[in-house]
Order: sequence, then structure tokens, then C-alpha cells
Amino acid sequence: MTSKPIISITDLNKTFPGSNKDLEVIAVKDVTVDIYQGEVVVVIGPSGAGKSTLLRCLNGLEDFDSGSIIIDNIPLNHHHKNRLEIRKEVGMVFQSFNLFPHMTVRENISLAVRRVRKKSLAECETITVDLLEKVGITDKIDSYPSQLSGGQQQRVAIARSLAMNPKVMLFDEATSALDPVMISEVLDVMKNLAKDGMTMVVVTHEMGFAREAGSRILFMDNGEIVEDRKVEDFFLDPNEDRSKAFLSKVI
Amino acid sequence: MIMIFVRKTTIIDSIKYLLFLGVIITIITLSSANMNYNWQWYRVPGYIISRSADGALIPGRLLTGLALTVKISVISLVLAFFIGMITALFRLSSSFTAKLVARIYLELIRNTPLLIQLFVIYFVISPVFNINPFISAVLALSLFEGAYASEIIRGGITAIPKGQWESAYSLGLNTIDTYRFIVLPQTLKQVLPPLTGQAVSLIKDSALVSTIAIFDLTMAGQSIISETFLTFEIWFTVALIYLVMTVSISAFVHRLEKRSRYDQ
Repeated sequence: MTSKPIISITDLNKTFPGSNKDLEVIAVKDVTVDIYQGEVVVVIGPSGAGKSTLLRCLNGLEDFDSGSIIIDNIPLNHHHKNRLEIRKEVGMVFQSFNLFPHMTVRENISLAVRRVRKKSLAECETITVDLLEKVGITDKIDSYPSQLSGGQQQRVAIARSLAMNPKVMLFDEATSALDPVMISEVLDVMKNLAKDGMTMVVVTHEMGFAREAGSRILFMDNGEIVEDRKVEDFFLDPNEDRSKAFLSKVI
Repeated sequence: MIMIFVRKTTIIDSIKYLLFLGVIITIITLSSANMNYNWQWYRVPGYIISRSADGALIPGRLLTGLALTVKISVISLVLAFFIGMITALFRLSSSFTAKLVARIYLELIRNTPLLIQLFVIYFVISPVFNINPFISAVLALSLFEGAYASEIIRGGITAIPKGQWESAYSLGLNTIDTYRFIVLPQTLKQVLPPLTGQAVSLIKDSALVSTIAIFDLTMAGQSIISETFLTFEIWFTVALIYLVMTVSISAFVHRLEKRSRYDQ
């Protein structure tokens, strides 16, 4: 671990406004956490705990009310330029894949490399082919997303994010929309990424993945981080009643 | 189309269809007999295409009018599309001024009659800026249809799933690139059918420009009738020409749509 965190979150608060005070939803409450290079941080907790919201705050898809987020020494604030800069360095994989349906796999992967990283066509092609090999679907380069299975689509989505050569990858329930066989294909890709030293923040319900590939667990409930522990410690000996209750349900 | 229709249907359906045709023909013959109308269809082709003194084929007045109608419609169509696109983007932008401008434009256009807009542009605005009737006509039509096109395009843009924006943004694409590569290509595919409907409206509405001294198809028909009193023949012919134009546009776009379809 390096001494300086790659993601630094301080006193983060986020409330979704309701039509009146009672309907307000506190999604993220006083979250302070540092994430270091090479860590695989697995965020778990009951649904509605604010895991996805926290993740979506990290690349500015969601605005936060107070606190600060600093990624790779760039503060995520109202400056549009900073936001774009951070998004270049932070990849995100969604539950619903969100591939671009009107583009082939090749175009999906190379678009941002070409437009944002300003790479040449030849470089884009090399990157695309390499990454498709990495996620194991080289033969689908000219297919459209609708011609792929869910697991293949998600692997293309991972390749698309990796093509930007990000410093951090965010996974927002990346396997929740898949059937068991496809879940394992996607998890394998994620485990390999972890092995290669990618810094990852993973919101998931896959406890197997957390144990095997995770280095740290953030257990969230009601918007707060209840426990922030090393993976082995958390599963062997959870400190809090809420984490114990949660673990007894999911394992 | 009729051929296919007859071939594919049962005998009973064919009989129903022939009965329907018979009724229509009877009504037309009876009513024209009652009016003692003297049909002179043989005079119509000369107004579509005729021969000059040295025997060369020259376009008749209807065809010349049609050419102008097509010219006005095509230019207005292109302009209306861009006006519609820009207005839609203005309405969806976060800028208060852009939203306000788009809103005022839309309310003005959609809540006043096209004929009045045409007159305002022709009689009030065009003398001030010294623009000719043709440009006034194009301006009025494209501003009018652009307002409706913008609502169609806006609807198409807002129908693009939020996830498309989010994945584009999370890849670091800026708003312009997201529109250009992700949102608009998908939107245009979705809004092509309703936009075609709007194009058909534009062609039909273009008949109104005959009121500002433009010799379009409608005006040509009117002037021929005032000289020859071939009221029925000419109006039927003019209507048929409009029909052929609009139906072929719909058919063309339908084919285009089929060819460029990707499965979602």
C-alpha cells in the first residue's frame, strides 16, 4: 500500500429529497473512508443501505450534499472539468450493462478511447482486440449487443471501461441481472482484474467473490458505514450486531 | 397495392371490395349527372405535360407548380428538422435563457394559425427585411413544422434510457459527444416514423403558400380552373398529385426503416 489514498472520502452526506421532510431518504450519512491503490473494496449491506449511491457519487453520477471526495488528487466538485477528468480515471460497470445498442462491440469499446483519450484508430483496434481477449469473447467483435448473452454483454461492458485504462473500477451490482452460469463468467473476469492489481470498489451480493477476491469489506446500513474491516476478519468475527444479523442471512 | 389486396383475400372479401367500389362510382356518377357536369378529362394531360410549337415536350402548368411545391417542401423540411433539433436541445438544456427562448417560440407557433403566421411574415416582416415571397414561404413553413418536429425529437430524446447517459458519462464523454454518438443516433431511429408524419403535414400545409402569390401546385390548379372551369378534374388531379407525393414519402421511409433496423 502506498501512503496516499487514491480515493479519499470525507464526511460524505447525500439525501434524496422527498415532497416533505418525512419522505426524505438519507442515502449516505457521514461516510469517511480512504481507499488505496490495489485494494479491492467490497461494499455489502441490505438493500437501501446506500451502497449504490455511495458508488455513484464517486464518479459524479450522483451529486452529494456535503463532504468531499478526492480521487487521484483531483477534488470532485462543481468544476465540470474536474468531473470529466475523474471520469476518465474511474471506470464503472452497471447492473444493466448499458451497452450502446446501435454500435457493434468494437465501436462500444473504442468510442471513448477515440473521443476522450484521442488515440489513433490503429491503437483503438489493438486495445479493443486485447481487451476482448482478456474478457474471453474475441469472436464477437462485430456483433451488436442484442446478439450477445447477458454475461457476454457484461464482459463487453467491463472491457469498454478498461479500454480507458482507468485507475479505479467501480462495479455496481454487476452480476445481479445474470443467471448463475453467467455470474461466474463475469466474476472470473473480475477476479482476474483484482489479481492484476486493479483498484476496485465493488457493490455486490456475491459473498463468495468478497471472500475470494476482496481485500476489505465496507458493511453499510442506513447510509452509514457500520464496519470497515479486512475481509478475513469481517467474515470470521463481525463486530457489530447489524453485520452479524446480515451475515447470518446471506451465508 | 390493390392487386395484392385482392389476391390475398377470400372471395367474400373481394365481393365486399367490389361492392364498395361500385357504391363509390355510382355516387360520383349520380351526383355529376344531377349537376349536369360535363367531364372533360381529356383536357387535363395538357396541363401536366404539353408540346411546344416545335414539338418538344415541355412541362405543363401543374407540373411547374409541382416543382415549386417540391422545392419549397424539401428546403422547409431540412430547415424544420434543424430548427426542431435545436429547439429540442434548447428545451432540454440546463440554461434558463435557452429554455425560455424555446418555450416562447413553441407557444407562439403552436397557438396561432399557420395562415396568420404566413401573413405576418409575408406582409409585416418581409417588407422590413426585403425578403422575397419564396423565402417568406419557406420561413413560415419551416418555423411552423419545426415547432412540432422539436416536440417529437424531444420526446425521442427523453425516451432514451438513463443508463445510456450514465454509461457515456462514466466513460468520460462530454455532453456534446454523448448527444452526438449515443443519444441522437438512437433518438433519430425512434422518431423517424413520427417525423415522416410531420413531413407529410408539411407538404399538405405548403398548399397555403398559394395565398401569398406563389405559383405552387395549388395556385397553378386555381389559376387553370379560373380560366377553364374544369373545377372537378383539376382539383381531383391536384389532390391525386399530393397523395402520390405523401404516400411515396411514407413508403420510402418505411423501407429505409426496415433496412437499417438493429435488434434491441
